[in-house]
Amino acid sequence: MKRIARMLIAGLAVSSLLAGCASGVKHAEMAASMPTLKPGEGRIYFLRSASMFGAAIQPDIRLNSQVVGESKPGGFFFVDRTAGKYVAAASTETEKTLSFMLDAGETKYVRSSPSLGLMVGRVVLELETPEKAKEELASLSYTGDQVKAAAK
Amino acid sequence: MTSFSFGARRLWLATGFSLALSACAPMIATTPATVELMQPAATAKRVQLLAPAQVKLDTGYSRDLAAKSTWSQVGRLPQGDVYRPVGTILTIEGRHVHEAYLVVRNKTLVGFYLPGEQNYSPLTTAVPLNLGESE
Repeated sequence: MKRIARMLIAGLAVSSLLAGCASGVKHAEMAASMPTLKPGEGRIYFLRSASMFGAAIQPDIRLNSQVVGESKPGGFFFVDRTAGKYVAAASTETEKTLSFMLDAGETKYVRSSPSLGLMVGRVVLELETPEKAKEELASLSYTGDQVKAAAK
Repeated sequence: MTSFSFGARRLWLATGFSLALSACAPMIATTPATVELMQPAATAKRVQLLAPAQVKLDTGYSRDLAAKSTWSQVGRLPQGDVYRPVGTILTIEGRHVHEAYLVVRNKTLVGFYLPGEQNYSPLTTAVPLNLGESE
């Protein structure tokens, strides 16, 4: 009886963790449907590894104070913006912002990673190198709505 | 039992202390800066780092500049020439994270230009760089 209860609890824990992971279309599968950049704009990818560490922490991601998406384990999304200065942040306990410059025609990659905070977990944003980001993107799932909106 | 609770208490204290430090990292010191841009960008001077360099920031964080990394001059500040990384990115970190370009004077890294804020952040300890021309 104890063994069944233990298995049930373990199953519930695993399924609740999995439910928190991104499950959309993979980047490799949607490459053809990606909208092309408009003149004067650049693209910002937001990505997060499919690690189970801190999987329950899924804050909004803000770009220049505007919510553009959510940080989900194993997920990515992108936004196109006019060239200029940007500040990205995750809405968690401690706000650690990331400031960067986006040039026209440029693609920047922002990685979100969970870390320990004083009271609860938090998500920190960092710029990722194009090489590492492209390598990881292929296995990540799309969590944004830009492609769907563009197709309508 | 006593030694276990003593050990656990020390572990908790150490964890709490390190968390407090990470939450209270100092801000990067900056001053407003306007880069005098190079024209045209296509003929920008490129340099290569011939040996790795480690940069210790006043915030406690450090950054490694890789050997063979290439840097393209984008402009000039009163403090030195401004170089952005080619094919990669550089950030500096304190309470926040900032994209950064190198500011070099006489083959010495004297600080960083933060393009996302148009600020200059000086280094307390300048770092000599082994720089060579790049194609």
